[in-house]
Amino acid sequence: MTLSTINISDRDHQIAKLSAIAVALSLIEFFFPSPIPGVKPGIANIVILYTIFKFDLRMGIWVSIIRVFVTSIILGSFLSPTFFLSLSGALFSLLSLIIFKNLSPKFFSLISFSLIASLAHIIGQFVIVRLWIIPHDGIFYLLPIFILSAFIFGLVNALVTNKLLELNPKK
Amino acid sequence: MIKKILQSFKVAKAGDWFIIILFFALIIISMKLLWNLPQGQYLEIYKNNEILATYSLNQQITKTISGAKGETKITINNGKVRFSSAPCAKKYCIHQGWINKANQIILCIPNKISISILGSNKNYDSINY
Repeated sequence: MTLSTINISDRDHQIAKLSAIAVALSLIEFFFPSPIPGVKPGIANIVILYTIFKFDLRMGIWVSIIRVFVTSIILGSFLSPTFFLSLSGALFSLLSLIIFKNLSPKFFSLISFSLIASLAHIIGQFVIVRLWIIPHDGIFYLLPIFILSAFIFGLVNALVTNKLLELNPKK
Repeated sequence: MIKKILQSFKVAKAGDWFIIILFFALIIISMKLLWNLPQGQYLEIYKNNEILATYSLNQQITKTISGAKGETKITINNGKVRFSSAPCAKKYCIHQGWINKANQIILCIPNKISISILGSNKNYDSINY
């Protein structure tokens, strides 16, 4: 009989812990009513930003994708439109971060990255909404509200993450 | 509190301010572009989902149309239009009030009459959806 063993590294433990925090934050956010339907602060993204800046982008990608899947399974929305909205938002943000990862840290701090990612998130969700869920041009009427909320929450999340990073400086 | 928030902005570097300004510009441009609905020019009246008549909005006139349940009155008043009387029970169509922007619609389901405003050019059809 052959035994297959999985070597679990410290890195895997870190990813698991951070993903768990991200999932918990997503769930807390889910139970808070939002003043405007569709506008959510996305506090789980604080954890993902934190992961990217404290560790590296690869780890951030892991945490982000795990968060989307685990949250949807817990809430029972796996493979539902909500899940695909969330997934496409996450994928677009990650893609934008991969594209812009070479911005010089001399001029750009995590505020820029957070804003770029939050804009990409809204674009990703809008693509899915326009192509699949509500295939009507009328929804573009709502786009300015979503861009504005992406700006506000992108900025707030960046400032919170920055505070967290100050409290836990990179080793 | 405000001082603390302002202090946290100290981490922002030159590029961050550039991105913030860019984002602001994007918000303003998107509002200008997407919230600037053109004024309507023409009114289409539908009965049983078929076009019954088209009128210019630049006039003052009340039209009476007989629908499935009775007579509906539609009032055009220099650029805007509303249902002024309807035979239906809940009068949702009347409570919609005046409409004047292109692509706005009002439906009266019980009487099977709907009105739709057209701009100078038709960019999409609200009735289709």
